[in-house]
Amino acid sequence: MRILEFRIIAYGPFTDKVIELSGGKQGFHVIYGLNEAGKSSALRALRNLFYGIPERSTDDFLHPYGKMRIGAAIQSGKGDVLEFVRRKGRRNTLRSGDDKTVIEESLLNKFLNGVDADLFVSLFGIDHADLVRGGKEIIRGAGSMGQVIFAAGSGTSNLRGLQEQLKSQANGFFTPTGRKKKINEAIGKISNNRKVLRDAQLPGQQWAAHDQALNHALAHKQTVETDLAKKRRALHRFERIQEALPVIAKRKERLNEFRTYATAVRLPQGFRDQRVDLSQELRVSENDRDQARNSTEALQKELSELQISESLLENSTVIEEIHREFGSQHKAAGDRIQLETRMSVLLGEAGEILRGLRDDLTLDHAEKLRIKKSEAARIQDLGTRFERIVTRIQTAREAIPTLTHRIAGIDRKLEKLGTARQIDPLKHAISRAEEYGALEKHYGKERSEIRSELKTLEVALGKQTLWSGSVEQLEGLPVPSLETIILFEDQNAEAEFKCVSLKKDFEKIERTLADVERQIDELRLQQEVPSEQDLQKARERRGRGWRLISPTLEGKPVLDEEIHDYIKGVGDSKTLSAAFENSVRKADEIADRLRREADRVAAKAKLLADQTSHNKERDRLKTEIDVAEKAQEKLVKEWMRIWQPAEIMPRSPKEMRAWAQDHKALAAKAKEIRERQAKVDRLKDEIDVHFKSLNQCLKKLLEPHSTEGETLADLIQRCKRVIRAEEVLHNNIKQLQSEKAQRKQELAEAQARVDSSEQELSQWQKEWEQAVLPLGLDVDAVPAQANAVMEDLNTLFGKLKDANILQKRIHGINRDADEFAVKVSGLVDTVAGDLKELPAGDATLELNRRLTLARTAQSQRQTLGKQLAQEQSRMDKAVGRIAEIETRLKGMCEEAGCERYEDLPEAERKSEKRKQIEAELNTLDERLHQLSAGATIDDFINQALTVDPDDIDGEISRLTAETETLNREKSELDQRIGSERTELGKMDGSARAAELAEEIQLLLGGLENDVEQYARLKIASKILNQAIERYRNKSQEPILKRTTELFKQITGGSFQGVRAEFDDTGQPVLVGVRPGGKEIVPVEGMSDGTADQLYLALRLAGLQDYLERNEPIPFIVDDILIKFDDDRAVAALRALEGLSEQTQVIFFTHHRHLLELARKNVDASVLIEHTLNV
Amino acid sequence: MTGRSAFHIRRSTLNVRCLPAFGGARGDQGSMFKLLRLKLRLNLHIMFKFIHAADIHLDSPLHKLDYYEGAPKDEIRQATRRAFNNLVQTAIAEAVSFILIAGDLYDGDWKDYNTGLYLVSQMSKLRQAGISVYMVAGNHDAASKITKTLRLPENVHVFPSNKPATHTLDRLKVAIHGQSFATPAIKKDLSLVYPTPLPGYFNTGVLHTCASGREGHEPYAPCTVEGLRSKGYDYWALGHVHQYEILSHDPWIVFSGNIQGRHVRETGPKGCVLVTVDDRGCPEIEFKPLDVIRWEIVTVDSNGAESGYTVMDRFCNRLETLLDENEDWPLVVRVLIQGETPAHRDLLANIDRWSNEIRAAALDTSGHRVWVEKIKFHTRLPSSEKDLRTRDGAMGELVKLLDEFAEKPDLLRELSDELIDLEKKIPKELKQGPDRIRFDDTKWLKSLLAQVRPMLIQGLMKKEDAQ
Repeated sequence: MRILEFRIIAYGPFTDKVIELSGGKQGFHVIYGLNEAGKSSALRALRNLFYGIPERSTDDFLHPYGKMRIGAAIQSGKGDVLEFVRRKGRRNTLRSGDDKTVIEESLLNKFLNGVDADLFVSLFGIDHADLVRGGKEIIRGAGSMGQVIFAAGSGTSNLRGLQEQLKSQANGFFTPTGRKKKINEAIGKISNNRKVLRDAQLPGQQWAAHDQALNHALAHKQTVETDLAKKRRALHRFERIQEALPVIAKRKERLNEFRTYATAVRLPQGFRDQRVDLSQELRVSENDRDQARNSTEALQKELSELQISESLLENSTVIEEIHREFGSQHKAAGDRIQLETRMSVLLGEAGEILRGLRDDLTLDHAEKLRIKKSEAARIQDLGTRFERIVTRIQTAREAIPTLTHRIAGIDRKLEKLGTARQIDPLKHAISRAEEYGALEKHYGKERSEIRSELKTLEVALGKQTLWSGSVEQLEGLPVPSLETIILFEDQNAEAEFKCVSLKKDFEKIERTLADVERQIDELRLQQEVPSEQDLQKARERRGRGWRLISPTLEGKPVLDEEIHDYIKGVGDSKTLSAAFENSVRKADEIADRLRREADRVAAKAKLLADQTSHNKERDRLKTEIDVAEKAQEKLVKEWMRIWQPAEIMPRSPKEMRAWAQDHKALAAKAKEIRERQAKVDRLKDEIDVHFKSLNQCLKKLLEPHSTEGETLADLIQRCKRVIRAEEVLHNNIKQLQSEKAQRKQELAEAQARVDSSEQELSQWQKEWEQAVLPLGLDVDAVPAQANAVMEDLNTLFGKLKDANILQKRIHGINRDADEFAVKVSGLVDTVAGDLKELPAGDATLELNRRLTLARTAQSQRQTLGKQLAQEQSRMDKAVGRIAEIETRLKGMCEEAGCERYEDLPEAERKSEKRKQIEAELNTLDERLHQLSAGATIDDFINQALTVDPDDIDGEISRLTAETETLNREKSELDQRIGSERTELGKMDGSARAAELAEEIQLLLGGLENDVEQYARLKIASKILNQAIERYRNKSQEPILKRTTELFKQITGGSFQGVRAEFDDTGQPVLVGVRPGGKEIVPVEGMSDGTADQLYLALRLAGLQDYLERNEPIPFIVDDILIKFDDDRAVAALRALEGLSEQTQVIFFTHHRHLLELARKNVDASVLIEHTLNV
Repeated sequence: MTGRSAFHIRRSTLNVRCLPAFGGARGDQGSMFKLLRLKLRLNLHIMFKFIHAADIHLDSPLHKLDYYEGAPKDEIRQATRRAFNNLVQTAIAEAVSFILIAGDLYDGDWKDYNTGLYLVSQMSKLRQAGISVYMVAGNHDAASKITKTLRLPENVHVFPSNKPATHTLDRLKVAIHGQSFATPAIKKDLSLVYPTPLPGYFNTGVLHTCASGREGHEPYAPCTVEGLRSKGYDYWALGHVHQYEILSHDPWIVFSGNIQGRHVRETGPKGCVLVTVDDRGCPEIEFKPLDVIRWEIVTVDSNGAESGYTVMDRFCNRLETLLDENEDWPLVVRVLIQGETPAHRDLLANIDRWSNEIRAAALDTSGHRVWVEKIKFHTRLPSSEKDLRTRDGAMGELVKLLDEFAEKPDLLRELSDELIDLEKKIPKELKQGPDRIRFDDTKWLKSLLAQVRPMLIQGLMKKEDAQ
């Protein structure tokens, strides 16, 4: 298949881009595109063309998905052409050239020869990245032959990578001896978990054993506890008595002592403390009383010394008020000075302005000059109007001469240009002729192609056997149709086959017949087989003998001749009896043989029967052969007859079929050429007509007639130039005329403006005169003067107004100061006559100071008064307290039975002693109660006294030992119970084991998936390796042979080629061979560039090998030479040129120098250039 | 079952049928009818409920779940225990009078006595709630070591294995008949010798049986529906078959199924049957799900799906429907992707990737409530897009080889040589059971080969930039 035309209708940046790829035999097409974006889009479009635009295509930035289209016309190796359009979509994306009818993908698939999208990209496409990766892979794989050959034959650059990946992934899952691999690890974990699970599982017997042990221990513990309680009771009793004996003795002693203190008064608790507290308190109170008395006296003295002015205090409010007022008075005085200064400045300035306006007036009369606001506004308005009128007159007057000058200039230009010519007929003629201008090139090309094809056809015709004639006669030759020939061929073959097979049968039957006869002979030769007839004869002979002997025996006469005859007939006998005996023996012998040799007899009989039937068959065949041969002869005659009209002596139908096919192809070619020639002739006529019409038009325009060698396209170009020039002229004239009209209009307008403005000015002057009179100006005064006077007046009245305001404020301040002085002198008269002479301010300050002093003294008197009252109350309290304490002390003496306070301590001591003895006795009784275990004290004492104290220790130590033993036993039991309970507690229905079983299942789940994945990887690996090996066995030789040539070519002879060697492990590897064949370079020793070239050589070799046996598919090359130096790039281009003999090569590049290298080094008839622009 | 009349008819026919048997022992026909009429008129039955469950298989784990990040691990923990707990809770909440367990409390080869202790603790809860339990030992229980030593609380009654026996609950007028398996494999019909029904009682039979045979279940204690019906019981509580199934409506003959599915062959809701017997002695039944996580198979039809993503979308839709149907119950799903799709190559060449996509989508869609157990890719390329038709060149050689392997069983078996080392090591669990791996199984090898094919072709033909 090759692509005749590739149309990127709407895809990526392209719109209706057509790349014509039909040139050349298969063609080496170099598609040059400036930017990479356009190039990659075109490449993608080429792939998508055959296999559909992907669902998420990114080439929709210009044309939306719905509009995306790629089209092409392709031609199969047999010459079938398919024109189709590919749109983007999910189904029915393939349409015929009109973009309407849906085409089945299978139709396109026939052209692609089963090459699917992936294979198309990998085997029939190569880009720079592939090249580099492929080169690297060769080096990494150390040139492993299988890999290299497979990669060459599949176009994959990822083979070794995939092999490694499969292997390493599989190894990641499992190795027989691994531990850390995923599957190994999972298996390890499972078996580990199984162990843990076994330990975690609780056997039923174990539980029962623990349960039983627990119950046993509990029962035993109960008996031990009973025993222990008994022993403890006994022990306790002895211990109590032992402890009670010293207590009993002590009790007796204390009872004796008590008798001494039995009469002492028992004073209450805290008596002594109370007594000590009261005495101390008495002393404190007395002290307090004395101190208060002293303080009172001192305070009274201080009070009497204080002096205070009451009149000042009474007037304190007035004094404070005038003190405050004094502050504001002081400030106002300061302000007044400033105000006076400012007022005098303002009056001065106003005077100055007035003098500028009128010498005759003072400020007091200035008011006369004030003008109304309405008058001022009117003057300003008139001033503005004056400016406007004057400006307008001036502008209009200036414009008039300029416009006049410009109109004169335009007139001059128009005169210079002259008038335009009529060009419409010419334009008309061109529009009709243009179409043929483009076809003219095609006409030339077509004509030369027709010539060359005609030549080719004539040569082919010359080579044609059996018939010679001209091309014209070729089409008309009455050759029988192919169907007829094939029919003859079949009939002939059938007839021939029939003859041959009949003859074969005949020969076979002859052979069989001969064989049968041979067998019969054999039987005969072995020993004549006796027949029934033989036996019959022998028996007859025996009968004849008997008929002779029987009369002899009976004594009847027998003729001697008969006897003689008989003897003679039997032979070997001399007498009748001997002859008879002989005949009897012979008959018996035959009968015996017939019986003994029955098989042979039967065989012979069968053979004879066969012989007869075979003879019949042979005769039948003979007849049939004759019939068949006649039919064949008739067929040959008929064959000759059908060729007679063409006057051809035919050969065999098979040969004639090939001849007729060739003839048909030639006739078709002749027809095609004839039709093309007719088309070309028509085209030529049309071109001439247009040539003529154009020339006529030119003549009318007084342009020169076309010269020799000027083509229609050239002529059209010239006519177009004439038209363009004429159009420019026409436009210029039109433009100038319109400009002139405009200027004239402007001139008239200017003149009118001057007139109207002058009238307006005279009206204005009248109004002005009246308006400026109040300002003391005459009619000649300009508006600026009037404005200046009005401004001065404004300023003057402003200043006078400000001065007036200041005057009022000063007056107010003076009035306030006078009122204040009167107030102060009134006050001084009332409270401080000594200050009369002082000014009001100073007097105010002094009064304030005195008032402050008076207030301080008053506050001190109040404080002292308060202290005095406190001290007096303190003294009263102390005296009262002393009396109270003395009363209480007297009460205490009475309670203790004492006369005086001093006797109280002794009474207290006796009371304490009595209490102490009583308490001890109580304690002892209490203790005895405790020890008596419920008995009364007296009973218990009596009981204790019955026991011999010397036995007690012995009993106690015996009982102690016994209880200790029991305790130990109990504790052991407790421990056992505890541990059994713990054990049983552990057996609580825990789900630990169940969870471990769950864990194992989780691991198994993972393992199952991993096992499958591992199996897939291993199988993939095995199959891939087998495929590699198989392909290597099959293709190594042809591919290496081609690679050698290509590698030599591409490396520019720096290598002689490649060959297979064996590495250390005996594996075949690919090595490079230097010129001379002695130096071998392993692939690891090659530079990256050389490896790339080796990969390229291998790929091209693989491709060529494939193309040997298969329909060609275009080879798409994407800028693979960008890293090659010029020499090697040229070599590679030549290799591709070579490939283009087998299949179409489409080479995309965005490097101009590669295009130029191709131009210089590739045969121009092979190389076809295309430029790709968006 | 509706109304009085149906009950009347059944009762009277039953008694007529039974009469000759009782005639001699209990007096003449007339007195029997009188007794029956009296009971009916006095309405002597009282309403009660009971639960029928079976095939608990306590502590039997869920089978072969491959754990992955985010999988709902907590939902599968102790599933059978939690389901059993649900049974106990349901019984208490419904205030049932008793529970019938038709065999297989344990897994036969499970040895952990803790399982038994756990059972005892649950039974004690029932005792506190005043619920008694009647059960027969199934084939698994007969094989179990736990059964032999475990002491059960007094509210639990296990039927003897040497002959059938009857327990009666006189207050409720209920008679329960049953017989345990003595050995794991009982091949005879046990129901034949079950006692005749007690007249005036609600008669139930508890039986561990394969009925007339069920696929995937051992053929133990076979019996027929006709045989059971002819016994004249009011309810037959059957166990052994793990799928809920009603064999007969009159009388009720029911397989309750197991209470928790444990593998992909036990799909759908699992639980017990709640039987309500009204005051006229008519039973009504209701299925109560008890399972804590449910097994389902999600079949995704990939026909015409342009890419793996479309398949993903379809899977999510299917899963959503399934979640709706199961009211957002936690699920374990097996995913089957089948059909003809152009995405076939991509799916199979990147099984790992798409498996992870499916798992992630399942987690997303379900809010971490679905565990994807396994994903099976049974897709094919559409016939219009058969791969690589060329048989020439290196790729052609590979394709030819793949075809040869696929067609010749001998060659296929040769592939298992690659796996010998592995086969020796993998644990026995993977080599047992109905879904075991058999390394020399040509069907298995062929399915792997079908997956290897796109893996190799894609792997070799892949180009980063090609569209």
